[in-house]
Amino acid sequence: MVEIKFPDVGEGITEGTLVKWLVKTGDEVKADQAVAEIETDKAIVEIPTPKAGKISKLFGKEGDILKVGSTLASLALPGEEIRAPEVKPEAKPEAKPIEAKHVEARAEIKIPEKPPEMPSRVLATPATRRLARELGVDISKVAGSGPGGRVTDEDVKKFVETPTKPAEVKPPEVTPPEVAPEIKALEERIPVKGIRKTIGERMVKSLFTAPHVVSMDEADVTELVALREKEKKAAEEKGVKLTYLAFIVKAVTVALKQHPYLNASLDSQKNEIVLKHYYNIGVAVDTPEGLMVPVIKNADQKSIMELAKETEMLAEEARNRKIKLSDLKGNTFTITNIGSIGGLFSTPIINPPDVAILGVHRIRDMPVAINGEVKIRKILPLVLSFDHRVLDGAQAARFMNTLMEHLKDPDLLLVDVM
Amino acid sequence: MSVDWLQVLDAEGNVDKSLEPALDNKTLEKFYRTMVLTRLFDDKALKLQRQGRMLTFGSCLGHEGCQIGSAFALEPDDWFFPYFREHGVQIARGIPMKFIYIYWMGSEDANMNLPPKNFTVAIPVATQIPHAVGAAWAAKIRKQNIAVAVYLGDGATSEGDFHEGMNFAGVFKTPTVFICENNQYAISLPREKQTASQTLAQKALAYGFEGIQVDGNDALAVYSATKAALQKAKSGGGPTLIECFTYRLGAHTTSDDPTKYRQNAEVEEWRKKDPIKRFRLYLEKKGIWNQSYEDNLVKDCTAEVEKAVEEAEAYAPVVENMFKYVYAEITPGLKEQMDELQSFIAKRKEG
Repeated sequence: MVEIKFPDVGEGITEGTLVKWLVKTGDEVKADQAVAEIETDKAIVEIPTPKAGKISKLFGKEGDILKVGSTLASLALPGEEIRAPEVKPEAKPEAKPIEAKHVEARAEIKIPEKPPEMPSRVLATPATRRLARELGVDISKVAGSGPGGRVTDEDVKKFVETPTKPAEVKPPEVTPPEVAPEIKALEERIPVKGIRKTIGERMVKSLFTAPHVVSMDEADVTELVALREKEKKAAEEKGVKLTYLAFIVKAVTVALKQHPYLNASLDSQKNEIVLKHYYNIGVAVDTPEGLMVPVIKNADQKSIMELAKETEMLAEEARNRKIKLSDLKGNTFTITNIGSIGGLFSTPIINPPDVAILGVHRIRDMPVAINGEVKIRKILPLVLSFDHRVLDGAQAARFMNTLMEHLKDPDLLLVDVM
Repeated sequence: MSVDWLQVLDAEGNVDKSLEPALDNKTLEKFYRTMVLTRLFDDKALKLQRQGRMLTFGSCLGHEGCQIGSAFALEPDDWFFPYFREHGVQIARGIPMKFIYIYWMGSEDANMNLPPKNFTVAIPVATQIPHAVGAAWAAKIRKQNIAVAVYLGDGATSEGDFHEGMNFAGVFKTPTVFICENNQYAISLPREKQTASQTLAQKALAYGFEGIQVDGNDALAVYSATKAALQKAKSGGGPTLIECFTYRLGAHTTSDDPTKYRQNAEVEEWRKKDPIKRFRLYLEKKGIWNQSYEDNLVKDCTAEVEKAVEEAEAYAPVVENMFKYVYAEITPGLKEQMDELQSFIAKRKEG
């Protein structure tokens, strides 16, 4: 009997994932014939058998993580009877030799969906343990998604974000049609992980639970543009880039105070709407790794200059992946500023646990009829997506009116703040 | 100034009669046998690595044309400086396959057993080039009627050592033949990102000597170009850069996954230009090759490879050798290291 091992096939790898068995128990194999495909950090490799013979047992199933040096399969050499693998000394004494037939049958036993009990020692890097401590998370309660059940930073963050696990909403399963190999060669496959994965999960959950209604409007911001042009330089001298977004955040907080149902969330378990008397505004930022939403805490208490400064700083940190987890949490309302890139209108998806999201588009010159005359005005297209379980169209429209009033006449911002 | 392109055999094994080198059937058969043997040797090495019986290995699959073609142009007295993919040249030069395996299994002992005029493998990129130019210069000073062939990849042409070696060879007109196996990728970096030059061969022009581009999958073209370059070198004509335009059909090494940086369709296109296939078609047209010829050849070569593996695995390396043979005489520093290792091993045996 010969054991076929999983060797270090890269340079200093420690483990690999069993992708596929290329043989089954009882198969006759030639020397150097591939028996399994294993994916390591570096590549997917085929592991060949060193000798010819008959496969008497396969260890592990597809998807298992294997340690370098572990046994993949045992091989009966020509002339040898297929018999059970030898019982190792550390095995329980009552373990009986298993007939080859049973081995095969065992392979068919369905593994329950539930992950096995976590071992008493949680696998995690010191950095992840520190993150858990900082967030007040008992790491032993976090299910690890990493290799060998290792708890990753993502797992800890996800655990914090979903303290009570709501029923998982799954998108309808679509089986991709078989693609011809010549087409496949023209395609590229990019693994969905990290931020991309989180965005996907959150957006699916939001869109499939909250009935979205979208309302669109146009705000006349001619005076706001003039005001910004006038004050831009002064701000610059203080090292602040005075953005329209800062004015919009301010106007939004003013409008939210007057229309509290927009600054809320839905507790669907208790069937209660939670009105929030604090105003944490999320601002969506395009980063190389995907969309991130830094949160400006207590935006209503900050000046336009402070808002401009903080937005800029948080966006920069998000783009550099230096942002603290706490700066990505606690949003009560979200603004997505699509205008800086393009698009006339869009239909944003609500950022949970918010009940509404404001899409801000590009300011452009438009002909507008004023007192029977066509005038060229600066027009800002605005889009509001809201959760119809919490809000109705009339409330949303009133909120938008207040918002537009304040954007049209920025002096009002001063009056409201004082 | 321009760079020539040489092809003798096309992908279907049709020969350009005006360029066909005068080689007898026996030599052609030897060409073919060495290419087939190299491929089987290479494939076995990959299997051994995946079984944990060998360390990291760089396959030469697809390079057989440039390697065997050039190696057969060399005389036994000419020096050979490899980088680390020239298993085919090593086999053609008569280095026992057993020692090539032993080297890649991790023992320096293999280097002690190299036949004369064969330099050791260079893992760092391009470091062999100044060595080879130095050896060629020495031969010139000693008035030896020999030349030096140094092998390099496309990636090596971006290294400082390449510039220094080429420049020195040009200035001193050393009898050096630079054989660049341009396999289109330096690990994952494609050739067009390696250099803005249209060809690698033209780099020779800047150093004041001739560069030629050759179909690297055409063993006859590589043979002719190398032969001419060696003759020129020996008659005082100075160095030549031969760019063998080829393709690495396998991974860079056993630690590399080429599907991450190149398309399968591209690999398939190059498979059609396989150097062994085209040589086989050439021999078939000459009435030398048929299926039973192939079967016998593969059987013989496989047995030879298996025997080499067996011998390599039976070989017990001597650890002291890695200290003893760095210099003609062991230096005090190396002696100290050797003693330390010996006492460590002795202690471990006791414990």
